[in-house]
Amino acid sequence: MDEHELIARARAGDPAAERALYDAHVDRVYRLAYRLAGEDELARDFTQETFIRAFQRLDTFRGESRLSTWLHAIATSVALNGLRKTKRFRTRETALEAADAVTVGQRTAEPDLKSRLRAAIDALPLKYRTVVVMHDVEGYTHEEIAATLNVEVGTSKAQLSRARAKLREALADFAGEWVT
Amino acid sequence: MNDDRFDEMMREAGREYHRPPETPREEMWAAIETERRRRRTTPRVIVMRPAWRWGIGMAAVLLIGIAIGRVLGPRAPAPPVDSVVAQTSDGVAYRLAAAQYLGRTEALLAGFRSDARTGVLDPQFVAQARDLLSSTRLLLDSPAGNDPQLKPLLEDLELVLAQIALLPAGRDKRDVELIIQGIDQKSVLSRLRTAIPAGPAALPRAQGAI
Repeated sequence: MDEHELIARARAGDPAAERALYDAHVDRVYRLAYRLAGEDELARDFTQETFIRAFQRLDTFRGESRLSTWLHAIATSVALNGLRKTKRFRTRETALEAADAVTVGQRTAEPDLKSRLRAAIDALPLKYRTVVVMHDVEGYTHEEIAATLNVEVGTSKAQLSRARAKLREALADFAGEWVT
Repeated sequence: MNDDRFDEMMREAGREYHRPPETPREEMWAAIETERRRRRTTPRVIVMRPAWRWGIGMAAVLLIGIAIGRVLGPRAPAPPVDSVVAQTSDGVAYRLAAAQYLGRTEALLAGFRSDARTGVLDPQFVAQARDLLSSTRLLLDSPAGNDPQLKPLLEDLELVLAQIALLPAGRDKRDVELIIQGIDQKSVLSRLRTAIPAGPAALPRAQGAI
């Protein structure tokens, strides 16, 4: 059974079709939610809310985009609003300047470039972090990101470029590692 | 810095960044089913703090009073006042009513603008816009409508709320974009926020789960 048929059946209230759609998409939605939230409890909340809203509003899905794009748009909206609401992201969103300060003179104490890079991604402003996670971590194309976040492709590219510039800045003392 | 090397580092680190565990699909599905059943049987309500309920109740009574007064009361010329919120008990009442209204409208427009980006609009926005549109017209007919600062804002809000209230069920993305453009071009949200009095006592802002 193809996805269009599943959608039609789910709209008609067929629980098996709803479950099939859930099974087809839940992994990628949960992965994205987890990458953004950084913790299982929030990722579950965001994933569950995404599918609850999706099933509730399936009638409004007009098939102009792929169902996965539509679902991921809901997922990112739920996750970003959730992160803002709970303000939990603020604990991770330490000022980038602070991250820069940590980089200076602590190389011997914290030599792991990968963990430093992860911390620097955490410290990015939410909109930049979202694009970095989607593009560099989860492998979305700029076209997919643009459709999901309802922005222009150029905006997605520009945000990724700015995010990477901030990351390079934050990891300036490791420059030799990738200059060579 | 070498971009290729940096990109490679990003990909390597990315694999470890908040690495998700195995998807708990059965647990989440069970939670989804439970929550959907609960939402089907429980009507959606706006959750507000008790103090806000009182405030909104008072504002509603005040607006009804204004409406009745305008219909039944004598048409005396309006006294020359610099502001709606004159130093009278009526002024305090208008201030409260206006603050309540502005706070609810700001919450609605901010939520509408935010959801519009995703292309998934909650139908409740339309119902709330209709409700607030009535309040806007009552406020425009009240002494608040004489306030030189508040009046243009109320008129712009009336237009925006009317546009939202009239959104068709099968709304077109273009319709929503035009509304958002109108909000942005007239700086409606920033003017709203400027007009809202500071402080929790002055403005019990609406908070709720839409």
